[in-house]
Amino acid sequence: MTTVHPSSHTAPGTAPTAVQVEAASRLPVLFLSFSAIAWLFGGALLALLASVQLYNPAFMEGCAWVTYGRLRPAAVNALVYGFALQTTFALALWLIARLGRVELSAPLGLTAAAKFWNVAVTVGVFGILAGDGSGHDLLEFPLYAALPLFASYAALGAWALVALHRRTERNLYVSLWFMLAGLLWFPWILSTAQGLLLGWQVPGVLQAVVAGWFGQNLLQVVLTGAAFAVLFYFVPKAVNQPLVNPSLAATGFWLLLFLGGWGGLSQLAAVPAWIPAVSSAANYLVIVPVLALLGCLWQTVDGRLPDAWRVNGPFRFQLVAAGLLLVVTLTKAILGGAVAQFTFVTVAHKEVIVLGVFGLAALGALHHIVPRLTTGENELPSAGLADLAFWGAVLGVLGVAIGFASAGLGQVAVGADASKDWVKDGVVGIAGNLKAVTAGYAAMAVAALAFLANFGLAVRRCCAACWGGDR
Amino acid sequence: MRYGPIIGAGAMISLVCSWAALVMAPQLQLGALAPAPIPNTADFHPATRPGLAAQGAEVYRSLGCQQCHTRQVRQTAILFGARLNELGTNGVNLSVPGSGQTNVVNLDLLFALAKARPDLAINPVQIPSALAGDTNIAPKLDQYSKDLALFRRNDEKAGIARPGTGPSVNELAGKLPADVLVKVSPEAAERAVKLLSEAGGKAELVIYNLGPDIERGWGARRSVARDYVNDNPVLLGNVRVGPDLAGIGSRVPEKFAAPWKAATTNSAVEIEQRLLVHLYNPRLLAKDSICPSASYLFESKQPNARYSGQSLKLPGNDARVYPKHNAYALVAYLLTQRGDIGLPEAPVPALAAKTSPVKP
Repeated sequence: MTTVHPSSHTAPGTAPTAVQVEAASRLPVLFLSFSAIAWLFGGALLALLASVQLYNPAFMEGCAWVTYGRLRPAAVNALVYGFALQTTFALALWLIARLGRVELSAPLGLTAAAKFWNVAVTVGVFGILAGDGSGHDLLEFPLYAALPLFASYAALGAWALVALHRRTERNLYVSLWFMLAGLLWFPWILSTAQGLLLGWQVPGVLQAVVAGWFGQNLLQVVLTGAAFAVLFYFVPKAVNQPLVNPSLAATGFWLLLFLGGWGGLSQLAAVPAWIPAVSSAANYLVIVPVLALLGCLWQTVDGRLPDAWRVNGPFRFQLVAAGLLLVVTLTKAILGGAVAQFTFVTVAHKEVIVLGVFGLAALGALHHIVPRLTTGENELPSAGLADLAFWGAVLGVLGVAIGFASAGLGQVAVGADASKDWVKDGVVGIAGNLKAVTAGYAAMAVAALAFLANFGLAVRRCCAACWGGDR
Repeated sequence: MRYGPIIGAGAMISLVCSWAALVMAPQLQLGALAPAPIPNTADFHPATRPGLAAQGAEVYRSLGCQQCHTRQVRQTAILFGARLNELGTNGVNLSVPGSGQTNVVNLDLLFALAKARPDLAINPVQIPSALAGDTNIAPKLDQYSKDLALFRRNDEKAGIARPGTGPSVNELAGKLPADVLVKVSPEAAERAVKLLSEAGGKAELVIYNLGPDIERGWGARRSVARDYVNDNPVLLGNVRVGPDLAGIGSRVPEKFAAPWKAATTNSAVEIEQRLLVHLYNPRLLAKDSICPSASYLFESKQPNARYSGQSLKLPGNDARVYPKHNAYALVAYLLTQRGDIGLPEAPVPALAAKTSPVKP
């Protein structure tokens, strides 16, 4: 008599079919995807309005709710929690269901948890606009939004982990390593950071240390990891080859987990010097796992790049995301320390990770997932809208990144030389670069709208097919 | 990999490593930091904020001022110098009686100065003709001439090519206080102070905090962890869209844009007025400022309620506005930001002058 392991309820012979898997994950994944991209639109819009104030201070002046100091954190948190993390959940659920060949249980309840997440993000964004932001980078949501956010994550994350546990395909593919690590990592860092900042209230600069540590872990491990999960699923698929050299991927994975969380404090000035020094060194070391993982993908692609670019829609997104990851990792190592301290260069790095590396990879993935879950086809109904979403997102990310980075380099020159005029060189002189940022966010919003429209077309076609009895 | 728990355990170990190194270790190092007493006073730095300023900190957080302003002054280097303040009591009085001019020369000090500054000439000291017969002075100057010859021979042996003309240590000692060494290593400065003190002079070690932030006048020293022990939340800021505010309470208002200098001549009232106008409309003070106006902290008509503040005169026109409580609170908070108070780990020049002991 052997004890029955919970995960062996479904023996390999009774593994659900692909149709069953898709049916069970349809509602929660589509809901999460749609609301995530809606947040991308909303967040990009808020960021756009904030960026205009950087060179035109009279814009929306005289109202505390939309002053730059509130709009900007509202936009960043909307993009990170509303768009990036929510997309991560959608991708995690879909990848777990698909790669683990498991039906998500009680999809309606899962959708309700996702709904609560959206409510919490909405409350948080309005809380920031109302002036209740906590003031800690990437943790600005007030307590009354942070607690429901954590609670709804607990439900979402637990659901995903239970599904992973019940998988019928026991072998864990590389994508699932990253997703599993991210699903565990996020509640650990969130509870640690919120506990230390809002609960225990660590004294003095330790608050900035905790917030910096949290932000780095969120961007470098959770979001970059999710981007890798997407890349490792879609790149081999796009070139129709099995993953070459999985042991290199494993090395890269463990190194990224180990080194990813160390680099967030290189920008702090008023702390003992060893803290930024350790972080700066970590920013160099993290190049190794990123190169290992990208190299692994490169070996898999093995020269089939032009073909994959032509044929496969999602692959375009992922190729740009991988390129941006390489660029951001290298520039973060070089400019992450005292050189570009206190400038827009750091903002550019964060935006590229959220919108570029993760955002493009995820948007590409959704262009594959959404049609599969709605119409059952491989592509979204409108190829034109898909192209618009791609070019809008790519140009948007480039606009934001180049705008912030070039403005930041201008600030570096002014900050390093006291003989330069702060206002003339450091404020007026970079206004032109910041206009590129506004254009970038606008393009990003257009891309989000294009995707949402395409999404709507797919859902309409799906519903029409169901009611017409075709499907 | 087949087992999820292995990934979970590995992830936890990795996370705990970075947590222990970057959260736990700083907590152990900095968790017990407390305000430090300011020498020769009963005060501590950082001081507890008075009630109005504490409310202002909340306004600062609520409006998100930290999105554009850091409160961290950086310092690229600290260098030292030696300053000679007094000649000491062992000088030779070469003043001609009745001329009304005092001319005291400390001959030992000249040699000490020459040792500290090999790039300056050392000149013979001429005896004024009126004092040529003074039996008290003449032998001393004779001895000095002999010593000087010996000193020059030693210079030659040591390979020091001292200029024969040009600026000399005699001129340096003639005008006090004299900066004997400026921006040198601590060893060189300490050696100079020791030499000068041994020769009977009163010398002190001075420090120079260097870096573009300090040159701009944003603070007299770098910001350190102790500066924030009374803050909650701690709003350091990480992008300088606008200038640093770590020392805004100690800056000259006229020079708002740049360069900033430590305030010495302006009263607190003037600075408060200046900051209020800046909050109402930054463009009234700096034409190209992109700081958003906080006009919602002001009323355009005198409120009916009992009113604690005065109306604010705007520059350039006759209009008057009435700051609300939050505007006063924010300004009170800004005025508590001082970059001119030294700490043991980050001294400011003035403080070093008072506390560094002169070596015997």
